[in-house]
Amino acid sequence: MSNDISFFFNGEKFTGAKGQSIAAALIANEQRELRRTRFGEEPRSIFCGIGICFDCVVTIDGVANQRACLIEISSDMNVESSL
Amino acid sequence: MIIVVGAGPAGLAAAKSAASKGCHVTVIDSQARGGGQYWRHQTEVSGYKSNRSIDYLHELQQNILITHITGAQVWSAEKLGDGYQLNYLQGGVEKKISGQKIILTTGAYDRTLPFPGWTTSGVMTPGGAQSLLKGHGVVAGKTIVVSGTGPFLLPVATALAKNGARVEIIEAQSPLRWALSPLALLLNPGKFPELIHYVSAILRLKIKVSFGSAVTGYHNGEVNISKVRSNLSIRKKNVRSATADVVATGWGFLPDVTLGGILGCAQTLDRDETVIFAVDREQRASVQNIWIAGEATGIGGADLALAEGAIAGLSAAGSRIPMALIWKRFTKRLFARALQRSYPVGAGWQQWLTDETVICRCEEVSCQEVIESVQELGAEDARTSKLFTRAGMGLCQGRVCSRNVSDLVASTTKCAVSRNERLAASNRPIAAPISLGVLGDGIAG
Repeated sequence: MSNDISFFFNGEKFTGAKGQSIAAALIANEQRELRRTRFGEEPRSIFCGIGICFDCVVTIDGVANQRACLIEISSDMNVESSL
Repeated sequence: MIIVVGAGPAGLAAAKSAASKGCHVTVIDSQARGGGQYWRHQTEVSGYKSNRSIDYLHELQQNILITHITGAQVWSAEKLGDGYQLNYLQGGVEKKISGQKIILTTGAYDRTLPFPGWTTSGVMTPGGAQSLLKGHGVVAGKTIVVSGTGPFLLPVATALAKNGARVEIIEAQSPLRWALSPLALLLNPGKFPELIHYVSAILRLKIKVSFGSAVTGYHNGEVNISKVRSNLSIRKKNVRSATADVVATGWGFLPDVTLGGILGCAQTLDRDETVIFAVDREQRASVQNIWIAGEATGIGGADLALAEGAIAGLSAAGSRIPMALIWKRFTKRLFARALQRSYPVGAGWQQWLTDETVICRCEEVSCQEVIESVQELGAEDARTSKLFTRAGMGLCQGRVCSRNVSDLVASTTKCAVSRNERLAASNRPIAAPISLGVLGDGIAG
């Protein structure tokens, strides 16, 4: 697969392939941590990977609590770690 | 019109058989492509018998009687006149669809058990690792420990190894437990070539396999492995360690019973106390004009799901069910029962925990907090403990932790989890979170 879609994660530019989820594209770029938890500020990545557990929630273009494992990357998408 | 919720093996089989009798069918599914969690084909990953899905997916795309709605998250359902209305979100927009009859094939997700370090980045479910690979073409890590119990560890481990990861399998149960189920093996001879396929792949790919062991800790890339008994209690703690950047850990599956629960379909407990739907001979639920097939009526894998889906589709179309299909379902159910006997998940995992181990990932509730809610605050069941601790009240609505919290509370109070508590813990008023803005306006933000 060719990495021809670029998007932003916490201000940094990443690239991924069409059809890849945000989580998959970031993990492929060795960016495993997707957010920090509210209370313990522990790093979290994907866990269930199929939209059940909500561990991977991020803010996408200003909309909070979106599951990074389900939503596919698109050009210039702005992804930020939720807190 | 018949609405099928879910496009996995059961849903595709239901759609195909109902359409074969001339019915109009709409298949509604949350993913962009059909196939469910089990049949994912964006990336070329060869698995055992994966070609079987081609017929069903072809039918989904080509049969003019079948409409496929993709990327749709059904968040609620209600009775509407003679039929039902499903409310769903698609691309942030709220939509509705209604039909006379509904076939629910909502599938299952990995069951997980907590251990010290299970919230660290790098620990995921086998289903998660498989979805990254087959759905998105990404190998989860370079060195991966695939652990837990059940046959699903085999396709996950072999697919990861084939794609370049160094893989080790840690299976908690002994393969000798299959000796408890001779009839199931005898009536399912098709499982032997499958077993040979995986054993030869394991040998060829040099995957190390241990039995009677479990991952009981993961810190800074170091995996602690303990010897465990069949009830998962520790026989010998930290017998060895391994290094890995990913631990994929799963303990069988839990069915997604939310939508049928919202529609009032009667639930029951499977032999291993998993909450499932009660269905009759033709897969009919307790509510009129609703059929349920696949994992939601008992975990059994794709073969059972295909048989149940085909039966549900024919029944919804008002057709007679051929004996051959009933027999097929019987043999597959026998095999499903054998899986429960071979890969039991006992309560011994509680010995793996420390006071600080998180039990509810969403609300970051520790094992100690749950135990204190019983010992110091007087909680007598998981529901009361949840009110004190918020365990199970986060975004996942307790899908990941509620069964574990119930078991932990039961061990602390020394009272078994009641049937009613198990059933009540699976009730969720909505199937997916929806913002009040979308609910009010019908569109996102």
